[in-house]
Formats: sequence, C-alpha cells, structure tokens
Amino acid sequence: MSPKTRLRHRMQVVLHMVMAFVVAILLAQLWLFTVTLEAMESHDASSSIVAAALVCSLLGCTAVWALIRFFLGTEARQAD
Amino acid sequence: MANTAKRSTRWKQDFPIPSGEDSYATRREFTKFLGLTSVAFLAGTCIAAARKLWKRATASSSDAVSVAALDEVPAGGSKLFRYPTEDDACILLRLAPDKFVAFNQNCTHLNCPVHFESANSQLVCPCHHGYFSAEDGRALAGPPRRSLDALTVSVRDGQVWVQHIAEKETA
Repeated sequence: MSPKTRLRHRMQVVLHMVMAFVVAILLAQLWLFTVTLEAMESHDASSSIVAAALVCSLLGCTAVWALIRFFLGTEARQAD
Repeated sequence: MANTAKRSTRWKQDFPIPSGEDSYATRREFTKFLGLTSVAFLAGTCIAAARKLWKRATASSSDAVSVAALDEVPAGGSKLFRYPTEDDACILLRLAPDKFVAFNQNCTHLNCPVHFESANSQLVCPCHHGYFSAEDGRALAGPPRRSLDALTVSVRDGQVWVQHIAEKETA
C-alpha cells in the first residue's frame, strides 16, 4: 500500500469520526429540545433549565457547522 | 413484443434519462441537510424557551384575585373560576374547613378539564382516566405523567384569593 493510499484511508477514518460526532450532537440537540418543551409545559420547571438548554443547543449548532466545514474542507483537500 | 422492446430502447437512446441517479445525494447535500437539521432543533428550542419566558412574565405580572367567598364553597366542595385570563380554567377545592387548594383545570395529558371526586380526594380526567391527588395535584394514575399546575391560595377578609406560585430558583 502506497503512503498516499494509507493517508487516504486515515482521512476516511477521520471523516467517519466527524460524521459520528455530528450525529451525536444532533441527538443531544433533539434531547435538549424535548427538555425545553417539557419545561415550557410545566409551571414548576425553572427558567434556568431552559436557558441552559438554549445555550447548549446554540453551542451544539455551532459545533455542527464547524465540523461540517472541516469535513468538506478535508474532503476537498483529499480530492486534490 | 420484440418491436415494443426495440421501440422503447430507441427512445431511451434518443432521450437518455439517468433515473438511477434520481435518489443520489452528494456528501455536500447530505452535510447541508445535517446542518439545517441542527438549525431547526435550535430554532425549536428558541421558540419553546421564548414561550416559557413569556408564560413566566405573564404569571409574575398577574396579581392575586378573589375567586370565592369563604362560605361559598362547602368542605368537600369545589368551584370553577378563570385565572389569569378568561381562557385559563382553574378549579378551587375545599378539602377541609380550613384547607383550600387550587389548580389549573386542564389535564396535563391532553388538556381535558378535570373534575373533583371528593369521596376519593382525587381530580379525575374523564377523557383518558387520568387521576391526580387533590392534595398537591400530583399525577397518580393513567396517562398523565406531570402534576397539575398549582396556584397559591390564601384566605383574607372572608374571601379566598389565588395567585400564581412564584418560580422556585432551584437549578
């Protein structure tokens, strides 16, 4: 196996890991959304929980876009 | 038969349609879909948070109101009222001569109005047989998993007053 092919295989592994991260973040965002919905319905739920869920979801969204940019950038470099 | 097959391949040669690629999505399109899904979750969370904060602001701005005279509700009895707006049905219960409790009347399952069963000291939702404790509004049986929203009740000057419970700063 040539060094170029080996590098390409390693990059494939990295790309798969990035996709796994993105999917994990999306699942976490879905969970945060359900937590916020539950808090919206319940009068007893504290607003701090909602604020924390909102901040975490925002961070998750930023991370997803950053990972996607990394993914597409790496893929473009790989194609060159 | 052979002619039909020949004709169909002929027009396909003349007008090629790459139907095999109809369901093909590039990685770029797929990652764009994932990113937009993330934005959609964030938008949903924002809307739910805004509604929660709006409800909280409305509740904190609503003052205590008198809903019944002290002798209007007998022990073991109940009275329906609207609070804080005409769209919010609530129920006042007199569990003992000196014990009043009040809850939002909407079942936490699918918003059916609950009614009071004084014999069992329970609030019952007739739609899907949900049961709540009349003492504190917690869900006892049936589909509801969340307690009824309770109101603060006080007795002053021969009148029963209700108000929203101030939010607990627990988290």
